[in-house]
Amino acid sequence: MVGQTQRVRRSGEEELTRFLLRRIALAVPTLFGIVVVVFLLVHLAPGSPASALGSAESGRRVSAAARAELRHLYGLDRPLPERFVRWLGRVARFDLGESFVDRRPVSERIREALPATLALNGLALFFTLAIAIPIGVAAGGRPEGPFDRGSAVVLFALYSTPVFWAALLVQTLLCVKLGWLPLYGVSSDPAPAGFAGLADRLAHLALPVTCLTYGSLAFFARLVRSGVAEARAQDFVTAALARGLSRRQALWRHAFRNALLPLVTLLGLLLPGLLSGSVIVERIFAWPGLGRLYFDSILSRDYPVVLGLSLLGGVATLAATLAADVAAALVDPRLRESG
Amino acid sequence: MKRLPLTILLLALAACRAREEAARAGSGLAPSPTEAPAPALGFLDESRDGTPVEGGVLRRRLVGEPTTLNAVLQTGVPEQQVLQYVSRQLLDFDARLALAPGLAQKWEVSEDGREYRFFLQPDATWEDGNAVTSGDAVFTIRRILDPKVPSPVFKPLFADVEVVEAIDAKSFRVRFRARDSLHAYAFALPLLPEKRYAGHRFLRVRENRAPLSNGPYRFVGWKTQESIELERNPRWSGTRGHFDRILFRIVPENSVAYRALLEGSLDETSIDQSLKDRSAADRRFQACCRVVEFYNLDYNYIALNNRSPLFADVSVRRAMTMLLDRPAIVRSLYRGSARIISGPWAPDSPAYDPAVTPLPFDPRAAAELLDRAGWRDSNGDGTRDRDGKELEFDLLASAGSTAGRQLDEIFAAELARTGIRARVRPIEWAAFVERIDAGDYEAASLAWAASDGNPDPFPYWHSSQFPPTGVNIAFYANPAADTLMEEARRELDSEKRLEIYHRLHRIFRDDAPVVFVVNASQKYAFRRRVGGLVTSPLGLYGFWPGPLSWWGRPNESVDPEKRN
Repeated sequence: MVGQTQRVRRSGEEELTRFLLRRIALAVPTLFGIVVVVFLLVHLAPGSPASALGSAESGRRVSAAARAELRHLYGLDRPLPERFVRWLGRVARFDLGESFVDRRPVSERIREALPATLALNGLALFFTLAIAIPIGVAAGGRPEGPFDRGSAVVLFALYSTPVFWAALLVQTLLCVKLGWLPLYGVSSDPAPAGFAGLADRLAHLALPVTCLTYGSLAFFARLVRSGVAEARAQDFVTAALARGLSRRQALWRHAFRNALLPLVTLLGLLLPGLLSGSVIVERIFAWPGLGRLYFDSILSRDYPVVLGLSLLGGVATLAATLAADVAAALVDPRLRESG
Repeated sequence: MKRLPLTILLLALAACRAREEAARAGSGLAPSPTEAPAPALGFLDESRDGTPVEGGVLRRRLVGEPTTLNAVLQTGVPEQQVLQYVSRQLLDFDARLALAPGLAQKWEVSEDGREYRFFLQPDATWEDGNAVTSGDAVFTIRRILDPKVPSPVFKPLFADVEVVEAIDAKSFRVRFRARDSLHAYAFALPLLPEKRYAGHRFLRVRENRAPLSNGPYRFVGWKTQESIELERNPRWSGTRGHFDRILFRIVPENSVAYRALLEGSLDETSIDQSLKDRSAADRRFQACCRVVEFYNLDYNYIALNNRSPLFADVSVRRAMTMLLDRPAIVRSLYRGSARIISGPWAPDSPAYDPAVTPLPFDPRAAAELLDRAGWRDSNGDGTRDRDGKELEFDLLASAGSTAGRQLDEIFAAELARTGIRARVRPIEWAAFVERIDAGDYEAASLAWAASDGNPDPFPYWHSSQFPPTGVNIAFYANPAADTLMEEARRELDSEKRLEIYHRLHRIFRDDAPVVFVVNASQKYAFRRRVGGLVTSPLGLYGFWPGPLSWWGRPNESVDPEKRN
């Protein structure tokens, strides 16, 4: 009897702490697994930093002997397990090593490219939600109605428009023909100061954000729509209407809440995506972000940078999943016991 | 004592001959009525046209970000494009491929051809006011020789150095172990300021990203993945550039660079065939921009692995060349702006002998060669075979290049008609290189980019240079050719050396170690405001003074169509 009451008392906070610890303990081997796989993928892929020198167009040929010398300089002639342990040892001291390409610390290169990608992806996510949610709620409010069908056609057309094509099209139209928006880059050169500088940066963001946004509208809008459509027929919505709430209020306050749960879970998984830039959009708009850094590093076999960025992505994903789990556990105690 | 200026004169003469060649090739282009007239090919020299405007900003395009601005560590074109304004070289290539004095006002070669003495310009100074000294030169060369320094461009050129030392503050000597008439080409070498590196780690010092100038412009700033800015160097006393500032913007995509040109945020960009075709019909482009097209020393070829049982036989290799319809490729793929080549140089290289005509496109003769070599379709499966082995192979291609892919597909189709099965296999660049290097291929589509005017075939075709030692990636071996290549290296008289190259050229044509394809034109688009362009077989900026002769009228920030 006594034992039982203690257990009941303990549950609350301690259960949560235990759950958290268990989750973190599970995250560590997962992260390790990710790191091992990425390390192997990167190092076992054909080619090496030495063979990536030059390109098909600038065919400066480097002899295999000179390449071997480079491999030695980069320490790539050491056995793979040794390289892995060395790298892991450095990572444990929060040192991601130095880029093979320009010999700068990997962390510095990532820090440099991070703000541009965060700004771009953050705004794109914001606009995606700001546009997709109202469309989804409106469409779900009257399933198979004219707005639902019309928006579906438009959204799927956007969804299936290739981004490189759309980007070049808007560039030609808005930048070259009309001259309304800057063509590429993050700011004008020289950049104006103060408020004009901010406006200049926003103008540079407009097109890349648009290009990142339009394609993902369909996904979110349809997700919200199906949640709202499902909830709309249920008793609690009918009850709300009976209490005298307007249709709009009933949809937003009650039906939409129902659709919010899967959306929030999904967001948890999408947040790490803020860090992984979009290669195509960043290349077309000459955007100095992480996507280009990742892409170029893979092409040049800049192993330390590729590993650093993969690690960053892995940690962000795990952290976001963990946060989502914790949030869910806080809301729903049943999850703590099973999780 | 043998002096080099004679070489310069002879190379210049050879280049003049090359220039006539280019003009002839250009005049053969008859534009069809439906297309805009093709721009005249050949050398462009506007350095005396119009009155240069002083001042303003030149906005140039970089395809990728330079990996460093340390001249010794450079590996690619973007580095070279920026450094050309900032770091002067000991010797330069001029527009006609000859070596000319740069930071070195003169140089002497010892009787035995092994020792070079350089005398630096007395007034050469760094941007901080210090003199450029022989100490800087010795430091630079020693860093190249340092096994801890990755310098893939310069290491092979200085691999044979025995001694490098200063004689006095303004002169130094470099002694090589073997006599080689081509050692001089190594000294197209930018110098590093020794003082800036003292006490710092060579690979990591800040200087590598903010170089001290000894040239016409100095470094101002570098925004990662965005731009690099230069301005006039007030301490510079040599040939002045016309612009006050040079702004390089990093624009990875060709089609975006084209739009940037129309918009006015770039003044120049390289373009490809499809953008050139598009520009001809684009009124907006014609109003503000122009195409500049010329031949340089680059060419493309299809490497055949001479060690493979398929291509060890010279008659099979010759048949391969004769099965590639190069005239049709010039017409269709390159719209006439490419020249068929018969050996491992472009027609504008003095080493190229125009008398050595290419093997013809002749599928019937090729089939006979294959028949006689024993490759017949004995089992009736449509593919030739010999001793139970089918005549089939993978044709490796670098995944990046579209023009190359089209060529490979055309070639494979032609081969199929003659009973040879070639499968085109596009591979990502780094993986591609690794397979070529290891000799793990049968045939591969490659481009040759000449980074300087050195025509020495030795590293690429001598049988001692098989990978991993060298870059004779075709594993070509012919004792007669080997002897001639060795002779050419020993021959200090440049006219005699050219004769040897011409003899070699004939052997290369007849041995067909690889399928030599074409020397295609280089295409650039410029805003019309930029004048004073000079092209050379080394491109628009592979020579001195290169882009320094360019000038620009004030930038119409909005293009004329937009204004009204």
